[in-house]
Amino acid sequence: MTPASRALARVRRIVPDGFPWQAASWPASIERAAPERGLGVDYDTSWSRRYPVRLARAVLLDHMATPAVRALATPRVVGAEVLDGLDPPAIFVANHASHLDTALILSVLPPPMRHRTVVAAAADHFFDRRMKAHLWSFCLAAIPIERHRVNRRSAELAAGLLEEGWNLVIFPEGGRTPDGWQQEFRGGAAYLSVRTGRPMVPVHLDRTWRLLPKGGRRIRRAGVQVTFGLPILAAPGEDARRLSARVEQAVAVLGDESASDWWSARRRHAAGATPSARGPDWSSWRRAWELTSPSRDHPSRSGGAATGPPSGDLRWALTRQRKPSGA
Amino acid sequence: MKALVFERSLPRFAAARVAHVLGSSSRAASLGPLRLVDTDPPELPADGWVHVRPLVSGICGSDLATIEGASSRYFEPMVSFPFIPGHEVVGVLEDVAKPDDRSPALTAGSRVVLEPVLGCAARGIEPPCSPCARGETGSCQNLAFGHLSPGLQTGFCADTGGGWSTGTLVAHLSQLHEVPASMSDEEAVMVEPAACALHAVLGAGIAPGSQVAVLGAGTLGLLVVAAIRQVCDPSSLLVGARYHHQRVMALELGADQALEPEELARALRRRSRSMLLGVDLTGGADVVIDCVASSDSIRSCLAMVRPRGRVVLLGMPAKQTLDLTPLWHREISLSGAYAYGTENVGDGRRRTFELAMELTRSARLGRLVSARYPIDRFEEAIAHAASAGRRGSVKVVFDLAARPPRSSKGRSA
Amino acid sequence: MSPRPGFVLEVERSTPPTLFWHGEGFRLERLPAGRSRVIYAPEPARALEDPRAAIRHALDHPLGDSEPLRAYLRPGMRLTVAFDDVSLPLPPMQAPDVRQLVIEEVLELAAEAGVDDVVLIAALALHRRMTDAELLHALGRRVYDSFSPAGRLLQHDAEDASNLVHLGCTDEGEDVEISKRAATSDLIVYVNINLVAMDGGHKSVATGLASYRSIRHHHNPDTMRRSRSFMDMHHSELHSSNWRMGRLIAASGIRVFQIETTLNNDTFPDSFGFLQRREWEWSLRDRASFLASSSALERLPASLSRSIFHSIRSPHAMSSVQAGEVEAVHARTLENVYAQQLVEVEGQSDVLTMGLPYICPYNVNSIMNPVLVACLGLGYFFNLYRGKPLVREGGVVIMSHPTRSEFHPGHHPSYIDFFEHVLAESTDPVEVAKHEEAYATDPWYVHLYRTAHAYHGVHPFYMWYWCAHALDHLSAVIVVGGERDAVRRLGFRPASTLSDALEMASDVVGPSPTITHMRTPPLLLAGVI
Repeated sequence: MTPASRALARVRRIVPDGFPWQAASWPASIERAAPERGLGVDYDTSWSRRYPVRLARAVLLDHMATPAVRALATPRVVGAEVLDGLDPPAIFVANHASHLDTALILSVLPPPMRHRTVVAAAADHFFDRRMKAHLWSFCLAAIPIERHRVNRRSAELAAGLLEEGWNLVIFPEGGRTPDGWQQEFRGGAAYLSVRTGRPMVPVHLDRTWRLLPKGGRRIRRAGVQVTFGLPILAAPGEDARRLSARVEQAVAVLGDESASDWWSARRRHAAGATPSARGPDWSSWRRAWELTSPSRDHPSRSGGAATGPPSGDLRWALTRQRKPSGA
Repeated sequence: MKALVFERSLPRFAAARVAHVLGSSSRAASLGPLRLVDTDPPELPADGWVHVRPLVSGICGSDLATIEGASSRYFEPMVSFPFIPGHEVVGVLEDVAKPDDRSPALTAGSRVVLEPVLGCAARGIEPPCSPCARGETGSCQNLAFGHLSPGLQTGFCADTGGGWSTGTLVAHLSQLHEVPASMSDEEAVMVEPAACALHAVLGAGIAPGSQVAVLGAGTLGLLVVAAIRQVCDPSSLLVGARYHHQRVMALELGADQALEPEELARALRRRSRSMLLGVDLTGGADVVIDCVASSDSIRSCLAMVRPRGRVVLLGMPAKQTLDLTPLWHREISLSGAYAYGTENVGDGRRRTFELAMELTRSARLGRLVSARYPIDRFEEAIAHAASAGRRGSVKVVFDLAARPPRSSKGRSA
Repeated sequence: MSPRPGFVLEVERSTPPTLFWHGEGFRLERLPAGRSRVIYAPEPARALEDPRAAIRHALDHPLGDSEPLRAYLRPGMRLTVAFDDVSLPLPPMQAPDVRQLVIEEVLELAAEAGVDDVVLIAALALHRRMTDAELLHALGRRVYDSFSPAGRLLQHDAEDASNLVHLGCTDEGEDVEISKRAATSDLIVYVNINLVAMDGGHKSVATGLASYRSIRHHHNPDTMRRSRSFMDMHHSELHSSNWRMGRLIAASGIRVFQIETTLNNDTFPDSFGFLQRREWEWSLRDRASFLASSSALERLPASLSRSIFHSIRSPHAMSSVQAGEVEAVHARTLENVYAQQLVEVEGQSDVLTMGLPYICPYNVNSIMNPVLVACLGLGYFFNLYRGKPLVREGGVVIMSHPTRSEFHPGHHPSYIDFFEHVLAESTDPVEVAKHEEAYATDPWYVHLYRTAHAYHGVHPFYMWYWCAHALDHLSAVIVVGGERDAVRRLGFRPASTLSDALEMASDVVGPSPTITHMRTPPLLLAGVI
């Protein structure tokens, strides 16, 4: 550890995470006053899709972000073959636990696809200040999406980009999970899929909340798994709401697969017994306890491929994580 | 025989005093002038004396004060060294006693309680002093004279031995009271302190219908409560006690209300519907019995008693500094109460010990014995007795019955 | 922007933690998502632009069957101006106090009309006498200096038999006995601060200037149980009784010119502004002052935190003033109070949580003792409803307060005895009431009430009666973070954290109970439908 990082760590120990050290999250049921003009959904991101900017971003993503994510997260990718048969553009629909999720998905996409992908980002969080808006639209090709209600402008923009051939990464939970369990999917992604006729690829990100949980400040090393599912298209006559439920279920099945194995997950799915990804309706400590229970880890499967972290490492990450909930 | 012996040793007195000030009673016991030694039993000083083998001996507040070096130098001429402490004694008579007209007929093997005061009879002084002649042995004027070494009681005299020993002590037949078979050792060991309490209560002049307050609810405080319930008829009896178990026990023994000591004055003010002048009540209790006897407790008793009321000091006050102006201005009687003798009750005069036996039985005072220790663990026993209130206990006693020391265990309440 | 109304926030997983008052401090607590709701008070109503002009207008345009004030004023008359005591408003307001503004205008008119015999009376009822500093703050230097040295600034003495007059009994046999000076005046002008819906109306004179003999008819467990709530005069036996008395006073020829004022909800000065803002709207400055003040308060000794809080002067501004005949004035006042404080709430919940602040009406510049904690929670906060209580019958109230067994020996002497003696025997209001007489007539308390700054001997009983309706209605009361022995003495159950308390509550009301939190102060009145 360098002296500088030690000093930083010391400051971080003094300054804890979360409210009231940071601003409180805005309750979903409360309407928010309009932000400054030209920010939020009104922010114009078209500059970030011009060729020179794309080039700069490709350098950033390929040579800095991707290696960094691989080093930190040692992602194990399952179902990547889905991407080979995919007819882009597509909508990648993933659960959301960590700020690193976006970088993680981008890093496991094949480079050509990665360079033609935009990311739906919460207008009220990533585009509320000008500097932030510039930063995220440059780094991730983020586009502003209103998360608590339907906004015509943001829907138009996303649909237009899909039609132009851009892939879209979207987290339909509308925000990172506060406790590791999946939240209800909002209908935006399915609506875009129905409207543009582009397929949705369910993606499940496992254990990324350990990497950098909501409210967390320190990035921890942890082995994560990215599971891709088969693309989903709206059946004739299927509306966005039903489609959304279907894709939420698909992500849940991937989650189950990630926690057990493909065959058991399929069987449970067929029997309608996929465990709820939203977690049991328990008190908060029990939910956290359950999430960190050793039975949810599968060190036996982490051997073999070079992508898996050594099991000892994972244990270590776990015990550190479990401390606060057990206290 | 094994006995705890208290020797005259200035450095040891000093060490005990320091340890006491630093707050360690077990340290005071081990560093102080008290030592566990093998020694010969005392010899019979004269006719009319017998050997008594102690079974149970209590640890009294005055014993603790002596061990901790906190007692007054007033006692020096009435004590002879080295002595074996222990004056709350239940024992077995070893010899066949030659009957004597002033003592009950006792046979070898009888269980007895000791009335420890060494008055004229025990000292072979004839004719006895006037208090002894009236049976008020507690006020005997000859505590340092006669054929015995000075000593106000057995347990403070070099010639008699004492209760804290596994061997025998010697006692004059006039000092012995037979314990009925139905009375347990635990009850019998409470007879001596109960006699103290009764003597104080009977001397306090508690008229029927008067308001009485008791400050402090250690062993003596609780016994005073029981005694007041037995022999007086107060309109209200309030107790100020520091610890919860003391308040519970005080209520069981007949207090009308048991409170924290700070609450006592307020409760008395409320009941007497009086006013306050500074800290002093304009009305207050008719009689307050102080079983703590520190300068603070005496001051608060003076504040709680009505003008012309009476404050009885039952605790041993030692040297205190306090402002006696309220005593003067409000014409309060401040009196002491020590030991026992003969009491005027109802239509006649009876020995305090006889009354105490009855009280012990009727109020089931044996339950106040919280812990028994073998003599080998005297340091623990003394530390326990010194912090009895904090540790939820009342009376701590030595269990001296002939059991092998290894297997005997102190029983903690 | 017009002030936003109060509202009910449904707690979800993304809802930030909620601020709970905790005596001289506050805590952030997370309420269980999906079954909790938080009631936020409306934002401060607009203040009157020119309060003095508004007062003058009210005095000249009386409501109900009343002449303008100046029509009653003539030379040679006896005029008594009574005003609310130190229990209002909470916290004490920044100078100038509303009482000062109103009384100055009243006296201006009296001076114009040449009235010589004017007396000011603090309508204490059985409260403690105000200190000179408190009187000065309430009345302003000009009024104080004109009346106090001349002995014309009095404090009502409910134990001064020679200065009380018995006016008769109501139909229900209630004695009406009030201050002789007031009763023999040609006009009583009563200056009210109507902080909550309970204040004012006939209660002003019939309680504020009455004796123990009179007050005991409505301050008792039975009346309080039948006041549901005492914030809603149409369902409050407390008010019915006062109204009977007030009508008897009017019928006996005593003219009362009632002046009632309402204050807006602007309760805390800027440095404590976060206390009245919604958590998700806290600015950087709000968060910084929250962090700074809560960490400072944790480290300070309790007495110092107390003096910091008691030095808070609230920026309350007058939002309305009306004058004239008592009942007409009070009806208008209630409309204004409701407009500021009413929040519509749908249905009852199993559990009601509340964070109790450092102050209640009876410990201004004093110590909040455990009896007052109970009264603030179960008396005041529980009763801040119209319709039905926020918590269902058989539900649980969870209060957050340190509940230290500390008493102000000068202000609350009988509270100490009440806590040590009466509550140790029983916490049932009816059982408690058996000791009332002895305390009410105790010469020492009477002496302190009359000559020092002590609440009357009977006052702690009233605090307990205030809780009677809640104690009847609830099956348990839990205090979070309170001193264990004190909480148990009150008959409540101690818990160290809110989640412990919720677990304990679910033992009583069943698993996954619904929870309502009153985020007050600022004050609100829940209209439960």
